[in-house]
Amino acid sequence: MEDVVQRYRVIRERPDSLREAFTKLFRHGGVQEFEALKGVSLVVPEGEVLGIIGRNGSGKSTLLKLIAGVYKPSSGTVDVRGTVAALIELGAGFHHDLTGRENIVLNGLLLGLKRREIAAREQKIIAFADIGDFIDSPVKQYSSGMFMRLAFAIAVEVDPDILLVDEILSVGDAEFQEKCDQRMEEFHRQKKTIIVVSHDLQVVRRLCTRVVLLDRGRVVADGAASAVLNDYAEMMHSAGSP
Amino acid sequence: MLQLLREISQNYELIWALAMKELRVRYKRSVLGFVWALLNPLMMMVILTLVFSKIMRFPVKDYAVFLISALLPWTFFSQSMGYSMESIISNGELLKKVKIAKSVFPVAAVLSNVINFLLSMAPLALIVVVLHFPLHWTWIFLPVPLVALILFTLGCGFFCATANVFFRDVSHIMQIVLSGWFYLSPVMYSLDFLPQQYRDFFRLNPMLYFLNQFRLAIYYGQLPELKSIALCLAIGLLALILGYAYFRRSEDALVYYV
Repeated sequence: MEDVVQRYRVIRERPDSLREAFTKLFRHGGVQEFEALKGVSLVVPEGEVLGIIGRNGSGKSTLLKLIAGVYKPSSGTVDVRGTVAALIELGAGFHHDLTGRENIVLNGLLLGLKRREIAAREQKIIAFADIGDFIDSPVKQYSSGMFMRLAFAIAVEVDPDILLVDEILSVGDAEFQEKCDQRMEEFHRQKKTIIVVSHDLQVVRRLCTRVVLLDRGRVVADGAASAVLNDYAEMMHSAGSP
Repeated sequence: MLQLLREISQNYELIWALAMKELRVRYKRSVLGFVWALLNPLMMMVILTLVFSKIMRFPVKDYAVFLISALLPWTFFSQSMGYSMESIISNGELLKKVKIAKSVFPVAAVLSNVINFLLSMAPLALIVVVLHFPLHWTWIFLPVPLVALILFTLGCGFFCATANVFFRDVSHIMQIVLSGWFYLSPVMYSLDFLPQQYRDFFRLNPMLYFLNQFRLAIYYGQLPELKSIALCLAIGLLALILGYAYFRRSEDALVYYV
């Protein structure tokens, strides 16, 4: 299973202001350009647990979406080796009128699994989600907890080489967090690459070996977790200064 | 184009699942279920038949069949357009989060309507029989114009789905266009009803060729000339190539505007 994750990412620009673009509908020159990431170059080897931190607007989510293949870089390249699963908001693609079981199939397909694979993992998913008979009821009847457990159960069964996690660890009850953590540990033990974007520094400190700090689209720090986290703390302290 | 075929073959399971979901959700809460797929054009047919053959006296024998043979493919086209126009936008949240071949959405939208159309053919056959209208063997030929129409519809669908993301007016404009287009197409009438001097103008309408093929097989019980078939396929392919090209060109930008 060859899946070294190495990525080189350079400058990216992203047109901002969808609203502005609409109001200036036929005036093509009206769209503002905004650089979400400026010259980011990063190499992530296999098996690393990388944390990406930074203030709001620093480009963290953009970076993740680039790796996930949701965005294409305006310039530069993104080279990802291995399958990627992004837990960027769970339950994307769930349809509320369909049952849990039907959504497992739909979601699994959306995340890139084949029907065969989904069928093989269905039982495991249902067991992990732990929602009992509700699996055959329309998803709109689920509580938010059930919803998330199911979505998470499907997402982790995708068994990617690279796992991208964007802020989802901070939602859900304690039990759910536990399950998340355990699963991440398991991923780590299996030598999979994990990239976490979070504001929760405790989580980052706990899970990540290496941390990258972004500020306004640039990599400001990159190194061992504790060092970078300290840098971040300092940066936040001096945030008020001009 | 090859890219499209590749994406379709890689994602066929997903496309099928999306199309099925679309159909299931469409008819989920309705008592009559998918019978509506036929009921709608059927009701139109009843009303229009009453108006045109009884009240306004169109000189057409068995106007009901004459009408519905073109009405069903038209309905397929216009509904497909409606669904595919919204297909990318309505899945916007999804494609902002997961890497997915965006072409699956318009394809699934058209596919669900193809299935709808096929389902409505069965009751059509029934109606034809009930009205003591001959069930011509030429029905066997129908897959050919159907394929050509599907290509054409996909092409238009890709184009509108893409344009609609950037300019939301497209949805409204197309509704009006489709309305007008319906009247300019030989659904309720056929080309020979029109005075000579206008016919060339109406011949510019691509739908004319597709609808004629259906009507020819169902109502007249004839096979079309080879050149008409070729023309339909050519139009269909051209539409698909152009529509898909526009989609491909804009594909990467879609995620920012959806």
